[in-house]
Amino acid sequence: MNTAPPQRAGAAGSADAVAPPARAADWYRRKRTREAMLVACFLLPSLMIFFLYRILPLGWNVILSFEYWSPLKAARFAGLDNYAEMFLEDDVFWQALTNTLIFILASPIAILLALAVALAVNSDLKGAAIYRTIIFLSYPLMSVAVGIVWRWLYDERGGFINFVLRGTGLIKEPIPFLQSFGWALPSVILADIWQVVGFYMIILLTGLQSIPQHLYEAARIDGAPASARFLRITLPMLRPSLFICAVIGILNSFTAFDLVYVMTGGGPAHATELLVTHIYNMGFGETRFDYAAALTVVQFTLLVILTFLANRAVGGNAGSVESA
Amino acid sequence: MSTRAILTSRFFVVPAIAIATLIVWNLYVAAHAHGEVSGKVVRADGAPARGATVILYERNLTSHFLEKTRTTTDAAGEFRFNDNRSHQIRLDTIGPDGRQGPPRILRLWFAAQDVDLRRPLVVSPSKN
Amino acid sequence: MRRRSHILRHLVMALVCALMLIPFYWVAKTAVTNENIYAYPPRILPLKPHLYNFVDVWYLIPFARYFANSVIVSLIAVAGNIVFNAAAGYALTKNFAGKRIVVLLFLSCMLIPFQATIIPAYLVSARLGVLNSYLGLALPLLSTIVCIFVFKAAFEAIPASLQQAARIDGLGELRILFRIMLPLAKPAIATNIILSFIWSWNAFLWPLIITRDVTMQTLPLGLARFLAYVEDTTGALYAFVCMVLLPGIIVFLMAQKEFIRGLTSGATKG
Repeated sequence: MNTAPPQRAGAAGSADAVAPPARAADWYRRKRTREAMLVACFLLPSLMIFFLYRILPLGWNVILSFEYWSPLKAARFAGLDNYAEMFLEDDVFWQALTNTLIFILASPIAILLALAVALAVNSDLKGAAIYRTIIFLSYPLMSVAVGIVWRWLYDERGGFINFVLRGTGLIKEPIPFLQSFGWALPSVILADIWQVVGFYMIILLTGLQSIPQHLYEAARIDGAPASARFLRITLPMLRPSLFICAVIGILNSFTAFDLVYVMTGGGPAHATELLVTHIYNMGFGETRFDYAAALTVVQFTLLVILTFLANRAVGGNAGSVESA
Repeated sequence: MSTRAILTSRFFVVPAIAIATLIVWNLYVAAHAHGEVSGKVVRADGAPARGATVILYERNLTSHFLEKTRTTTDAAGEFRFNDNRSHQIRLDTIGPDGRQGPPRILRLWFAAQDVDLRRPLVVSPSKN
Repeated sequence: MRRRSHILRHLVMALVCALMLIPFYWVAKTAVTNENIYAYPPRILPLKPHLYNFVDVWYLIPFARYFANSVIVSLIAVAGNIVFNAAAGYALTKNFAGKRIVVLLFLSCMLIPFQATIIPAYLVSARLGVLNSYLGLALPLLSTIVCIFVFKAAFEAIPASLQQAARIDGLGELRILFRIMLPLAKPAIATNIILSFIWSWNAFLWPLIITRDVTMQTLPLGLARFLAYVEDTTGALYAFVCMVLLPGIIVFLMAQKEFIRGLTSGATKG
């Protein structure tokens, strides 16, 4: 036994084709399996969570949407009945879809605002860090609390907005923002913009700060005016950040559930009903899990389509630019 | 990371201050929460009202006040309750002649806070 | 000319900041004022401000209960996040067969918003028997993709020679992770803690679905429930809102840098 190692070491140096290569290969195989098992163990908890709560639900939604399902009876195959009901008979669905699209289409406004703010804060302004903190402060807060804050701001009697509008003489009677069919959705959208503009600003700031300065120098030497510098250098280089902001804007129509639930509960006659709130009401209010699953499938498809369109808008590949 | 660095980092200082404040506050509350409510009842002219009834109401959830106990003032017009358990109470006074004085609502900092009325309760004298 | 544009920019920024801060001020003013808050015109400054509304909120609603529930759920979520994400991030730094598929899987999970999974997630939790429990509340939040990639990037920045030396010394992979990799990735841990804490603290839809008893409700649920049954003319509801927002604001101000870094690094992963 004591002499074996030196013999093996010596044999490994020579081109000897006896025992050593087989044992070495064996050891490598065992080491690789051990490593593979370790990797699997490390990945397992996270993968389990995502499988249980992201991937499996996606598939289960699709299956549920094609069934008649209730907790008490066995599932029956329903074909396209749920979808037929959704598209042909459910007015609330169409209202919710319209509202969701309006909600999503309002995000470019917020992104532009955030871009303006990011450009202003990006300069060597003294106190830029304080401005950044104040503007970003609204994002990490509970949406429920934000909803209650804005509900109070919109109040007809004690609210700030009506107070200012009436105080400056712009209107005579207070506007019932959250109770009026026309004003409710824009009011919720404004509250959402207030909450999310800080996030857009941070993303765009990071993008702005990663633009190499030499591009601007070269443009300035070439005599390009500020507007050309903005349109030709800043905007294209910001495409990845703009794409992320667009995706977040789309996802906002999902996460705005909290705001709508607290501010209007779906709004006067479904004026602020979003697909998310409709799914919640169908699934947990009326316990129609199968129909709610069908709604979720449609909503997710909408999300995928819109993300794809946003990707095309920024020039494919999530807007990433090839390095010069 | 050195102990000094941990102790001065904001992640330690802020929670430490919060917890320290919490402990000091709870100690203060424990020392002062016996439920004693004491005060004096006077007539409109300032003289102490002897034998007036003072009623203690406690607030419940739906902002109604429910009667808890009542007591009578002694010769010097002073009264004392020992079993207040609420954080918001109302004191009604009924003079010896039956007239009611204006109610006084007290908002306390914590339940069963010991409080001694600074301004005496006033019972209007009977108009004969 | 330069100074004028500077002053102009400061003015514009001050205006924007004022717009962002006015909602906070308006609610704080309402919480401490001593008048009928529905009287018109509302005062800009609080009338005879007092803090007794906060005392009312403390005793009239189970604030301590809601707060404790939120803290427990957030602690479970943060602990789970650190362990699971560090392990997954470490595993992703190695090369193994099928690594591309796993990375693709993770990235695609980022595209699935939580709201698109609520119905089956409820059914899964029901099958697992964790409805209406702390574990059930925290389970979907126990791992996040953004944080996995944050750890992966942090681990990849650690020189491989350290890991090699540790392996030669005979340390097992688990020990390597905890003794060597994690201490060198402290910013990643801080980012992970703050991101998972904020996301679990603010969660509303999931606790709404999965809790049955009032005693299991978290802070956002308590707030929404209070809204439904208190309609008085004092600022009690807004005192509650202030009490709820304060921990979030303090935590955010303490850990701003880590929070922002976590969001933007995750963002660059697309």
